[in-house]
Amino acid sequence: MATVLIENLTKIYPPTITYPHRVQALGGVNMSVTGNVFVAVLGPSGSGKTTLLNIVAGVETPTSGSVRAVQDGVPAQVGYVFQEPRLLPWRTVLNNMLYVQDRKSDRSRREAEFYLTMVGLNEVAHLYPSQLSAGMQQRVGIARAFLVNPDILLMDEPFSHMDALTGRSLREYLQRVWLHTRKTALFVTHDVSEAVELADRIVMLRPGGVVFDDIPVNLPRPRHPDDPAVRAVEGEVLRRFDSMEAAVRFGAQAG
Amino acid sequence: MLTVPSVTPDAISELSAREMRRAMARRWLFRFSVLIGWVAFIVVWYFFSRVVFNPRQLPEPHVVAAESWTIITEQDFRTHMQASLFRVLAGFLLAAVVSCGLGWLIAYNAWWRTLLRTIVQFTVSTPIVALAILTLVVFGVSSLGPVITTAVVATPYIMMNVAQGLTGVDRRLIVMSESFGRTRSQIITGVLLPSSLISVLAGARLAFAVAWRMELLTEIFAASEGVGFQIRRSFESYDVRGMIAWTVLYIAVMLIFENLVFRQIERRLQGRTA
Ligand SMILES: Nc1ncnc2c1ncn2[C@@H]1O[C@H](COP(=O)(O)OP(=O)(O)OP(=O)(O)O)[C@@H](O)[C@H]1O
Ligand SMILES: [Mg+2]
Repeated sequence: MATVLIENLTKIYPPTITYPHRVQALGGVNMSVTGNVFVAVLGPSGSGKTTLLNIVAGVETPTSGSVRAVQDGVPAQVGYVFQEPRLLPWRTVLNNMLYVQDRKSDRSRREAEFYLTMVGLNEVAHLYPSQLSAGMQQRVGIARAFLVNPDILLMDEPFSHMDALTGRSLREYLQRVWLHTRKTALFVTHDVSEAVELADRIVMLRPGGVVFDDIPVNLPRPRHPDDPAVRAVEGEVLRRFDSMEAAVRFGAQAG
Repeated sequence: MLTVPSVTPDAISELSAREMRRAMARRWLFRFSVLIGWVAFIVVWYFFSRVVFNPRQLPEPHVVAAESWTIITEQDFRTHMQASLFRVLAGFLLAAVVSCGLGWLIAYNAWWRTLLRTIVQFTVSTPIVALAILTLVVFGVSSLGPVITTAVVATPYIMMNVAQGLTGVDRRLIVMSESFGRTRSQIITGVLLPSSLISVLAGARLAFAVAWRMELLTEIFAASEGVGFQIRRSFESYDVRGMIAWTVLYIAVMLIFENLVFRQIERRLQGRTA
């Protein structure tokens, strides 16, 4: 079973030539995620969501505090879906998939094709990324993250660059693949309805990178965005968001 | 989610047949204009040697062609061309190897970047004739001199383009690779190399052209064999025909080389990027 344990995590970016101030991206985040759950991390722009995922993925170092991502006591394998597809433009779709695999065998090839089929893209496996639409490219990104058989799945606003219709169908794809594998998932978003549609639990971050709220979402799957129950939870989350905004504003006035 | 256009297979094959014909026509038009270019060049040559100068100052194309043929069949064309070719390639390869290291330093180290940029400005603005003479002074008449000087002159072009290619690499692709646990060498061959390849190739091409010219020039001053040396010998015996014939042969070999190597590589790379 995979566990992500985040304790007192802070990240302060040092001043740069272009922006000569220290930036506190994360200000003491505590959270733990265990088992086959889908957790949404919800927060406004600049609240440190990407930073948080990068630290969990091990591509960014924390300033203080600790992150442990383990699977049965050993370091967990993560699969990362980024805000933009991040495919290698000089490789075909299939070869982009094979790039993240350690062994190049018939089996790994079949696995790659399996996940491409899952997101409806097996027919274009031999094309280059530039020959695909943005939505198709992002689906390759999703398939690639699942392909490494991750213990923990990290997703950073994967649909925020998409138009509403594409985003909607991609969420469906994601739900389908996730229900098939049920990997521990950390899904970053600033879209409330997206969070409610996908997550078992919503962790809200506020600017400065502090956990503000932690809301369980107990709705049956698969969920539909138009379902009244989904709408109701959305309303509740939005209300808490408003109270967070008020708190932030009040805090700013007081300080 | 693949959409299938609602047209009949017949219509599609009709369409593609027409497109094929157009593409063929364009290709022939292109070949034809290349031919016209060559013909025009030869006509202009005749005009200059007959009207502007006289055939003794500037021999006519057919005379030069005959002379070239004599050189190829009766003189030691192979020895001299091989000597020159070897030096160009050796200098170029030396430059390529050194450039990769220096380009890396320029891309990732601010101190080296400043230093090497200054040196590059200095070497690029030095007249190459001065360098050729300097080669003679430093190395004497040898094979090593032209090779080193060629490498020195060619290096900046590859080096700057290697650096440019490396700094142009999308950082996010590296982060992606790291998050998927790719090793350092996998990232180098999988991301850094292919993404800087276009830029490096452009630099290599430029460097190659410069190497050809530099090598010839150093041979004129500081060699005892090679095409440059032959050109000087012809010059010393007032043999304009031989001079031009050797030059033409040198250019011909260079063009063939260019086409065989760089064009082919570029053709392979087309469509693989961006
Ligand atoms: N490499 C960096 N260097 C300096 N500051 C950074 C860096 N990356 C992020 N920051 C700063 O840290 C803060 C949090 O950034 P982060 O990208 O984690 O936010 P986010 O919640 O993902 O925002 P968004 O929703 O816009 O993607 C921001 O103020 C940002 O300017
Ligand atoms: Mg972000």
